[in-house]
Amino acid sequence: MLSIILLSVSGLANLFLGFNRSNRLILPFVLLVLAAVLGVTVSGIDTHGALAVWNQSPYFTGMLTFDRYAQVFTGVMVLTTLLLLPFSQKYVRDGNANLAEYYSILLFSLVGGIMMVSYNNLLIFFLGVETLSIAMYVLAGSDKSNLRSNEAALKYFLMGSFTTGILLFGIALLYGATGTFDLAQMGNAVRAIPAADAGLRPMMHIGLLLMLIGVGFKISAAPFHFWTPDVYEGTPTLFTGYMSTVVKTAGVAGFFKLLFVAFGGETIEFWLPTLTAMLVLTLFIGNVGAVAQTNAKRMLAYSSISHAGYLLLALVALQSGRLSVNAIFFYSLAYSVATVAAFAVLKLVHDQRERDDYDGLNGLARTNPLLAFVMTVAMLSLAGIPLTGGFFGKFYLFSAAAQEGHIGLVIFAVVMSAVGIFYYLRPIMAMYMKPAAEGSDAPVFVGGFQSAVLVLLVALTVLLGVWPGVVEGMF
Amino acid sequence: MDQTIPEVIRTIPLQYYVFFATALFAIGVLGVLTRRNAIIIFMCVELMLNAVNILLAAFSAYRADPNGQVFVFFIMAVAAAEVAVGLGIIVMIYRNVQNTDVNLLDRLKW
Amino acid sequence: MLLATTATYQPADYLPILIQLGLALAFVAFSMVVSHLVGPKRHSKVKDSSFECGIESVGNARTPISVKYFLTAILFVLFDVEVIFMYPWAVNFRELGTTGFVEMLLFMGLLLAGFYYIIKKGILKWQN
Repeated sequence: MLSIILLSVSGLANLFLGFNRSNRLILPFVLLVLAAVLGVTVSGIDTHGALAVWNQSPYFTGMLTFDRYAQVFTGVMVLTTLLLLPFSQKYVRDGNANLAEYYSILLFSLVGGIMMVSYNNLLIFFLGVETLSIAMYVLAGSDKSNLRSNEAALKYFLMGSFTTGILLFGIALLYGATGTFDLAQMGNAVRAIPAADAGLRPMMHIGLLLMLIGVGFKISAAPFHFWTPDVYEGTPTLFTGYMSTVVKTAGVAGFFKLLFVAFGGETIEFWLPTLTAMLVLTLFIGNVGAVAQTNAKRMLAYSSISHAGYLLLALVALQSGRLSVNAIFFYSLAYSVATVAAFAVLKLVHDQRERDDYDGLNGLARTNPLLAFVMTVAMLSLAGIPLTGGFFGKFYLFSAAAQEGHIGLVIFAVVMSAVGIFYYLRPIMAMYMKPAAEGSDAPVFVGGFQSAVLVLLVALTVLLGVWPGVVEGMF
Repeated sequence: MDQTIPEVIRTIPLQYYVFFATALFAIGVLGVLTRRNAIIIFMCVELMLNAVNILLAAFSAYRADPNGQVFVFFIMAVAAAEVAVGLGIIVMIYRNVQNTDVNLLDRLKW
Repeated sequence: MLLATTATYQPADYLPILIQLGLALAFVAFSMVVSHLVGPKRHSKVKDSSFECGIESVGNARTPISVKYFLTAILFVLFDVEVIFMYPWAVNFRELGTTGFVEMLLFMGLLLAGFYYIIKKGILKWQN
């Protein structure tokens, strides 16, 4: 709860900080706040307590729970944001007029993300989704004079609000079938509906399906992924990085909680085939679609679709409980760190060379060995090569799914990761094999602080890959 | 008439509310999928949200549970915020291209 | 149970609606026909023009409107909608007691902070 209060209040304070034309103060202030929130969250994690107590917290008559589940995922999201924001220094240098607003909106959206993993009532889930989404619509269009950014904002907004309607209709039908918005009570009510009930059971099924569609849109799972490449390409790179990490983590963790608490048990028979079909389609479209791309941002968009597919494996393996929670946690942490590193490099290159296709990366190994190395490690981690965090992320996910007997799915996912290696190698080849174009072979400017954060990102990725036990015991 | 509002709502069978809300919702979905003007698409989304509101209010009255109505309040407030952001985005685009037809926006291919 | 019909409706129950509809249509037709038959008819150029009196209309009605109207309208909607949260609070004011009052003060304080932000941002200044 403290994390939500801190973020909201400092977001508000930050808005007023913007009036003093003290633009240089804003970024350090925001970073400090995020570090404080991270400290509060991580130090509050009780690793010896129960994994998750779904209905224990006193906040808002039990609508919010800050159990270990919520705290750990809050930690992942805050850490991601903290690592991403140092690369926004160009906005500060350019003296952007709306600087304070962007950071404030980012902080508010983080509050939405936290609500999505700590909810205990579908009302809070809906508010969290909307707080996160509405903030992201604004950030997608934050490059106001750029038509691509405008278009990304419009597409994201129209698709997003459409999805919100579908999600809400699902929630309304679930409320009609069970008579409650509370997760635990909903679980009881669902179990109490007789299997042969001709009125309430179809209503619940349709409601759950609509929610599946709604969340599928938000985490860009196929067949609801089509907006992703366009929006990711048009959105300013920094916020694309935020979108593909924090939004995805919050969506998957939040939906896992819903399915686990309210629709576990024998209800699983109903939604499992649908989710499995979505998973297969998502993995296939994400990985095969990424192969054809020539733009690094679009490639990362497809890659983020495929990672949504891997994360869905944990939802399919829901019955394994702690194993799949741990898999989601480790995977989203490793994926977020690697994605932040990739987008950070793209952002720095874009700031100088004004392009984000593969050719824009040409010759980076000669001009900026550090950037090229960071990008390489990020790509290897995303591909799931051993000694990087991504390897253990995939390992945990696959073992959770295998434990639940989904061997076929695991084999399919492994084949798809093999396809992934191909397209993740393309930026690496561009950086190391091809010479830079005439006139753009000047080294990309990287600040001292940014270099330190880049090194930290690489260190984290390798640490997670060499010693995954470092975050063990969270679950 | 000294009936309370939930009692009045309950004089009509619940299925009718469900059918009505579903029909409104379907009209909204169809509108989003077929119309090409951003503002009309947006109005269709609002129609979908209002279908949800009707459904929630009806369930709430039939269940004699106020939670559904409170949810409606939150949907309204959130919809207002969404309107503000959405119209802001549409105005921003209109300033750049002088049109609100979504087909004009093809710089990013689907 | 929940979905069971609570009352059965016969087609005859809708008769009042039909009668109402018929009456409404009949009134429209009646008044149009009668005014056409009874009223005097005189035509002249001035009489047939759309505006008999007043100043001449200038330009198109669909001129671009200043974006300031839009901003003000949106801000009105935003602050207006927040009032719906006060109704349940006001109805339960006694039960919620001091805690509820403080919570509502906090809520209004946040809204006021937003309002102060808007004023500071100069959005409500009409001149520039």
